[in-house]
Amino acid sequence: MTSTNHLDELNTKTLLSRILIPLTWFLFFGNVATLIYYYSEFPAWNYKDLFQINGFSIVIWTVVTFFSSIVQMYASNYMKGFKKKPKFLILCLAFSVFVMLFVIANNVILLIVFWLLMGLIMARLIGIDSEWKEAQYASKFARYNYLAGTSFLGLAVGILAYSSGSYTVDGILASLDTTPQWISTAAALCIIVSAMIQSAIFPFHRWLMSAMTSPTPASALMHAGFVNGAGILLTIFAPLLFTANVLLLIFIIGGVTAIIAQFSKLLQVNVKQKLACSTIAQMGFMVMQCGLGFFTAAITHLILHGFYKAYLFLSAGEGIQNTLPKKADNMVIKPLQTIVIITAAIIGGLLFGYITGKGITLDSGLFLTFIVAITVGQVVYNVLNQKALSVSQKLLMTPLLIITGIGVYALVFNGVTVLMYDMPMSHVALPLTITHIVFGIVFLVAFYIMLSGRYRTIPWLYVKLMNMSQPVSKSIVFFKIK
Amino acid sequence: MTKQEQILISIDAASKRIGTTWPLYSFVTSNPLSGYEKLSFEDAVKESGRFLKSKSYPEAAIYRQALEKNDIDTAVLTEMLTRKNMLSSPESYLKAMEIQDRKVVKTSKSELDVIMSKWLALFMDEGIAEWQMPNKEKGFYNVWKDLAAYDSTLGSSFKNLSKTSTEALELVLNAHDVENYNKIFSAHIGALSGWTGYIKHRKDTNSIWQQKYPIDIQDYLAVRLTIANHLGMSLDLDVETNDNGIDNKLRHVWLKAWETTFQKKLVSDLKTNGLSIPVSEEQKNIPDAQMVFCIDTRSEMIRRNVEASGNIETFGYAGFFGIAADYQHYQEDISIKSCPPIVGSPYKITETPQQESSSKNSDFINNKAVSKSKLQILKRLKNMLPSSFGFVEGAGVFYGFSLVARSFAPSFFSKLKAINTRNYESFCEPQIAYNGGEKNAEVIALDEKVAIVKSGFDLMGWKGFAPLVLFVGHGSHTANNAFGSSLDCGACAASPGRHNARLLAALANETAVKDVLRTRHNIDIPNDTIFIGGEHNTTTDDIVLFDAQLPETHKDRLSILKKNLQKAQETATGERLNVTSGSVELATKKSVNWGDTRPEWGLAKNAAFIVGSRDLTSSMNTNGRCFLHSYDWKSDPEGAALAGIMGGPMVVTQWINNHYYFSTVDNIKFGAGSKITHNITGQFGVVQGNGGDIKSGLPLQSLRASDTEMYHQPLRLTTIIHAPVDRVESILRQNKHLQTLLDNEWMYLKVIDSKDSNLFKTYTYNFIWKDESSTQEHHKNEELQATEVISN
Repeated sequence: MTSTNHLDELNTKTLLSRILIPLTWFLFFGNVATLIYYYSEFPAWNYKDLFQINGFSIVIWTVVTFFSSIVQMYASNYMKGFKKKPKFLILCLAFSVFVMLFVIANNVILLIVFWLLMGLIMARLIGIDSEWKEAQYASKFARYNYLAGTSFLGLAVGILAYSSGSYTVDGILASLDTTPQWISTAAALCIIVSAMIQSAIFPFHRWLMSAMTSPTPASALMHAGFVNGAGILLTIFAPLLFTANVLLLIFIIGGVTAIIAQFSKLLQVNVKQKLACSTIAQMGFMVMQCGLGFFTAAITHLILHGFYKAYLFLSAGEGIQNTLPKKADNMVIKPLQTIVIITAAIIGGLLFGYITGKGITLDSGLFLTFIVAITVGQVVYNVLNQKALSVSQKLLMTPLLIITGIGVYALVFNGVTVLMYDMPMSHVALPLTITHIVFGIVFLVAFYIMLSGRYRTIPWLYVKLMNMSQPVSKSIVFFKIK
Repeated sequence: MTKQEQILISIDAASKRIGTTWPLYSFVTSNPLSGYEKLSFEDAVKESGRFLKSKSYPEAAIYRQALEKNDIDTAVLTEMLTRKNMLSSPESYLKAMEIQDRKVVKTSKSELDVIMSKWLALFMDEGIAEWQMPNKEKGFYNVWKDLAAYDSTLGSSFKNLSKTSTEALELVLNAHDVENYNKIFSAHIGALSGWTGYIKHRKDTNSIWQQKYPIDIQDYLAVRLTIANHLGMSLDLDVETNDNGIDNKLRHVWLKAWETTFQKKLVSDLKTNGLSIPVSEEQKNIPDAQMVFCIDTRSEMIRRNVEASGNIETFGYAGFFGIAADYQHYQEDISIKSCPPIVGSPYKITETPQQESSSKNSDFINNKAVSKSKLQILKRLKNMLPSSFGFVEGAGVFYGFSLVARSFAPSFFSKLKAINTRNYESFCEPQIAYNGGEKNAEVIALDEKVAIVKSGFDLMGWKGFAPLVLFVGHGSHTANNAFGSSLDCGACAASPGRHNARLLAALANETAVKDVLRTRHNIDIPNDTIFIGGEHNTTTDDIVLFDAQLPETHKDRLSILKKNLQKAQETATGERLNVTSGSVELATKKSVNWGDTRPEWGLAKNAAFIVGSRDLTSSMNTNGRCFLHSYDWKSDPEGAALAGIMGGPMVVTQWINNHYYFSTVDNIKFGAGSKITHNITGQFGVVQGNGGDIKSGLPLQSLRASDTEMYHQPLRLTTIIHAPVDRVESILRQNKHLQTLLDNEWMYLKVIDSKDSNLFKTYTYNFIWKDESSTQEHHKNEELQATEVISN
């Protein structure tokens, strides 16, 4: 009987998954082995000016194959019975392949084509349910965004190639010295717009907020391996951004997004939209790191954020809970605690600076160290304020959290930095400017507003942020059965 | 009557039709059309179709599958079609229905639903948002009124809105006739039936959220109609049904043919298996153990396998074990309902730590506080600026490890996650106290304890006690599953049944209770009988026993029983998952796999409710399609026990059955659609994709084997009672609601008339019974009668 067969299928893996999953894991381990083998002196392989593979490419390859494997394993169960399951698995695989090809593309046409294909496939995943009109609209909306993003990228690369006469990325970057300033500025601005669209940076965030029509594993892939394209794109074109002198602009764009999205996250009532706002904020931070000249830090951030967000999406079914209304807790810090907190923050900052080499001198790295120091301070005051914890627990927990957190991060960051040694201008601190200091103060103010809970009593801000973070309405319940 | 009063009356009338949307943390499966039960099934689906735009009958593809598998008997079908003067071949009708199904559904645009679902989701959130709607305690209309002034998306912003929702409604309805109110309200309520159903739930239960942040249908309508008016939309929604009546009539015949085929098979099985074997009570030995399971359809299979594993007798009893109570959680600081929603909760079950284990208790309480603190720290670090960025960088690698662990070693991962949670059931004993009122929290009187224990034995027709008597509730254990509670015990308002089971065992073990039962009620429980509570894990078929208080004397007996239960677990999982080896491992894997959308099937396939002794069914395999309630007509001459069963469990099974039916036939409107695109909202519900209406029913994965392949068969419930037919009839005459359900064909009833040589008698309409031997002729007469009554 057919139904028995169907039921048996629920307990077994399909042939497709049985081939694809081990294959992707195999690729992952191959990449890991390559990374370990070459580690600090990674060679650069060239193929006819079409492709170029270096340490950076393999880092991204490792990450992409990891997420792809995890998502496929998950989806092979999760999508059982879904009529588009084979198509879904193949799209996921194709997506991963195009990301991998994109990062090694040296020829500018290939670069643009793979960038576009990544987007087109993501749009298809958003609209994989072809009978669901809202999903179709969300898919179309995302596709238009990606097409616009690709156009800007095409424009940027086109004028650069035209002016330099070279059709490879490294060729273009090598001849930046002779490129007229207005061309590099125009190209850099186009690159920035393209990156902003890809990473859903304000005001291009709507496509991501409207992308929940994609099945959960596709969202995991999107948030771990697609939306962070800005980090990759900006890193590839880092020398251009320096030449065009637009880093401060990038820093501001990222910073504004980070703050707005983090506040928007607080008022979301759907799990996936909340995660999306968090992603936008994290992408803002990543872009900020680029703007500080720390492209390696941005790449580290996109990897770690990928782990974090993939996990949260894949476990998005856990959010059902019977709870009681809670009073918003506004914390009060006592004077004595302030001293402890500030001391801990300074120690944390120093530790971070010492092991990552960021922010020891008076440059833009100080900003990142500053963020870490505040985080350490927040950890300390949060732990201090928990009455349930005993003194010994607090004494043990605080340093443990801080040291492992910073330690593990530094390990990844240093590893990535070593592997990216031959990426031009990917790790260059900028001089500290007044803008950085102003933004440091803005962050402190935002931190204070959050801490005090003041924002809760501002209705207009609530409505503004809520409307701003809504999906496009035609992707919600717009089409109604008559 | 003033206009205001007219409005209120119309709102009240329209509200009566709303089906309840239950929160997913206690997902009660109820009839989405419960507001239409006063109409006949056929009329009800027609009427609801106007406002809900819903489908009410299975699609042709499902009928085809049923026909191919002979679940619809062609002979039965042809006969029924002929009787309705439909003379073509079944195939041609099937084709006609297929054409109808393929028709492209016309859609209209609904900006209003988009706007409303946004505001409703924000207002009714139960804790996802850190930043709640400002001034929510003022109530939905008032808070919306305050915020609307800043809402630039609605064109020119709102100013000078009416002070109250009543005034607002009066204003917008100015130009409308009073006669149209009901239609307007019904259509606007039906447009977002999920959300309005949740408003109904909050009103009905007066939950803490409702007390703190009130919302009602009047507020909903006031906001909705005010926005519609402001945007220049017409208030009159389209309430014409787009199906032609013929199609529905045809589908109705097919449904009945399917149901009749099922009933015929069930009746003949009962005749050959249950009724043919003569049973004499005296021959029965006292078994080694007796186990009481819930009436849940999943119990049928585990009971069969448990019985096969040793000398064990089993019973079926509603899984709240007759304890009408709320449960005060010891782990979380909440109180949940732990009995059917149709029953009140005069009692409260609490946990009391035993004296000898006070250190365990303080350890537990301390641990609880610490883990709460940790969660709070984590949440704040994730939410706050700029620690959210630092947190992701510091913790990212650990999330990476978690991804790997959950993918490759989910059992290990879930153990690791639970490493810091302590089990309080090993040192706490449940207690029963009054819930609210003057005697709040006081332990209940002995008489009431006795009554609870006694009624259980009465309803089940209990005779003779084994040394071990186990009350086994049930609960599901699944991972990453928003619909987890839909797999728990329906009789406990979708909570696990373990607490009630533990409590009943504790009560029955009380010496004072035993004494009263012996002296006053002639129920003689031997001194060496020990009662134990337990829980059947329906995902893995593991049975956990709460035997911390077991005396030494029974340890050996219990260890033998536990071995038997292990055997039963192996055979039961093997049967359920259709594998020959490694079934327990497979079931366990499914229960911890975060990517499994079908960890178990819940109550899918349910179709019948059998009330009678186990002898009726013990030699049958009902394939998990039957609810089984133990009942002995001989020991219940007054019919009090049967009245209890028919008034309680029978109605609950009808709820469950109708829920499964409607979720299957229109999974989008009455169900929850596919799990793979669910988005949890407000910690209590799901929406599809980007938002919109909250889903009120079961997901596709609980009902279908694949997007296209049926698993649950959408049939209305058939209840079969083994008792004298006049006893059943007199109960029906006293219970108007039951008569309504039967007359309107929301369910079927057959009686095995124990006073008339166990003949099957079928309730047709208005207390007319049809017995097996009745002819075609008979049939027609009844139909005529029935139509006459309806037209009158």
